[in-house]
Amino acid sequence: MGGVPLAVEGGFEAPGPRDFEFPPIFGEGTLLTKPMLIVIVATVLVGAFFYLAARRMAMVPGKYQYAVEGVYGFVRNGIVGDAVGREGLKFVPYLVTLFSFIFALNISGIIPFVQFPATSRIAIPLFLAVISCVIFNLVGIRRQGFVGYFRNMMFPSGVPWPVYILLAPIEFVSTVVIRPLTLTLRLALNMFAGHLVLLLTVLGGEYLLLEAGGLSAVLSVVPFLFAFILTVFEGFVQFLQAYVFTLLSALYIAGALVEEH
Amino acid sequence: MPTDVPPQSGGQSGGQSGGKSPADAWSAFSLIPAGVLVWGVVGWLLDMWLETRGFVVLGLLVGAVGGLYLVWLRYGRS
Repeated sequence: MGGVPLAVEGGFEAPGPRDFEFPPIFGEGTLLTKPMLIVIVATVLVGAFFYLAARRMAMVPGKYQYAVEGVYGFVRNGIVGDAVGREGLKFVPYLVTLFSFIFALNISGIIPFVQFPATSRIAIPLFLAVISCVIFNLVGIRRQGFVGYFRNMMFPSGVPWPVYILLAPIEFVSTVVIRPLTLTLRLALNMFAGHLVLLLTVLGGEYLLLEAGGLSAVLSVVPFLFAFILTVFEGFVQFLQAYVFTLLSALYIAGALVEEH
Repeated sequence: MPTDVPPQSGGQSGGQSGGKSPADAWSAFSLIPAGVLVWGVVGWLLDMWLETRGFVVLGLLVGAVGGLYLVWLRYGRS
């Protein structure tokens, strides 16, 4: 374990990026690591959550069905309804899946004994962002035609033609590179930073309580209190980031559906 | 939340409103970093090629202006 000792030699070691790297669970040479296990379990749980509700759909919903419909309704009315409108109904299944999956992976950061947000490993948000990017570009191409889509994207009307040399590459890179990139970074870094702050408060509290000695043990109340407050806050951020990722995916799809002259 | 409420067609930013809503602020944002990225890289490549300095700065500025101009073109015109 590297890391910079903060106060004295052998003193408190601040958590860092190395805390996001896990060894294979079943020893050297095997593949499965903790983030991968979280992804697998979350996939199964989210799938089961919706599958079981769909199988036993009743006219008078029980508590469970009400919860499932709540998630579905939240995405359908709260995200798609506002951002895309009626045409967006086709994309509700994808967006519900996206939202639930990201939320499950985010919230794993504050579930006791799991306590690692799998989305802080950048490959996962990156892959999801690429899927969203492919979808909204395909939607645009199907709606406006291949040439039409890129013409509308890269050549806004009302500009003298030499200016297009300046503008067209910007529009292209903005849609095809920056959009998925910002989706990825926003989610991954929020989860990364949140997890790091939680680690810092908890490990700092533990250090004060068990190792610093003397009166410091009393002071450990402060970091533990912060750990509690920040855990609640982190839960909110984890929900919010799942919401923002889904909302932006919906907005990009909405943008591809719009035909500009 | 009941699911039998149909989403309003159009909505805040939907199809026809022509782009003047908080939703568009989200989509507009990526234009500025894209401008800086594209023309910054072009300027940097020019610097490499001509063994000069300064094109990268020019590129960054041109890109930022281009990105801002695009935001105005797409979302600012009434």
